[in-house]
Amino acid sequence: MTRPPQASSNLSVYLSHELRNALACIHQFGNILVDGLAGELSGEQREYVSIMLENASKIRSVLDSALDGVPGTPEECANKIKNVSKLET
Amino acid sequence: MDKTKILVVDDNPTIRKGLGVRLRANDYEVLFAQDAISATAALVTERPDLVVLDLGLPGGDGFVVMERLQRNDRLASTPVIVLTGRELAGNRDRALQAGATAFFQKPVDDSTLLFAIRKALDVSRGELRFDE
Repeated sequence: MTRPPQASSNLSVYLSHELRNALACIHQFGNILVDGLAGELSGEQREYVSIMLENASKIRSVLDSALDGVPGTPEECANKIKNVSKLET
Repeated sequence: MDKTKILVVDDNPTIRKGLGVRLRANDYEVLFAQDAISATAALVTERPDLVVLDLGLPGGDGFVVMERLQRNDRLASTPVIVLTGRELAGNRDRALQAGATAFFQKPVDDSTLLFAIRKALDVSRGELRFDE
């Protein structure tokens, strides 16, 4: 992983890129497991992977709402994320 | 009959591996490149039927790869699906203008990506217009 940018104007771009790549890996391999591409899962295993995937989707929603289109400062990003958290609860 | 050949270009090895598993399970032959230089080489030597392209790459970004593709008459019609962690603003429109068939932000649903791939291949083979 690259170092976080010091300039605040690039912070949301950096966060979006790094978090989206990490989320994509969770999403890809979770679905590979659920779809049985790496062997069949038991009912319980499938349930647990599905819980992981549901929560990865929630993080994606927060990312979509909070980071994209935010030009700016760490404070702006933090405020946006707080607002999204309020909506989610 | 030869399998449809897809070139996956991404500098993240885990993303490449995951896409490879998914695409092979859908009966595609999958090739990989990890930077703009090896992607350009693979385009010329392997002549893939479609490219899944990340934008943030070492050795020149995804826009450089699309520019090289467009400059080569024999390759210019190869459909490109951009799959990136970059933000939408400034990248989606630029990618579509540079010749991308579709633009997705990571993570994308597998069904959405597979549908876009099938449709882009149908269009490129003249079996369908993209707005159908």
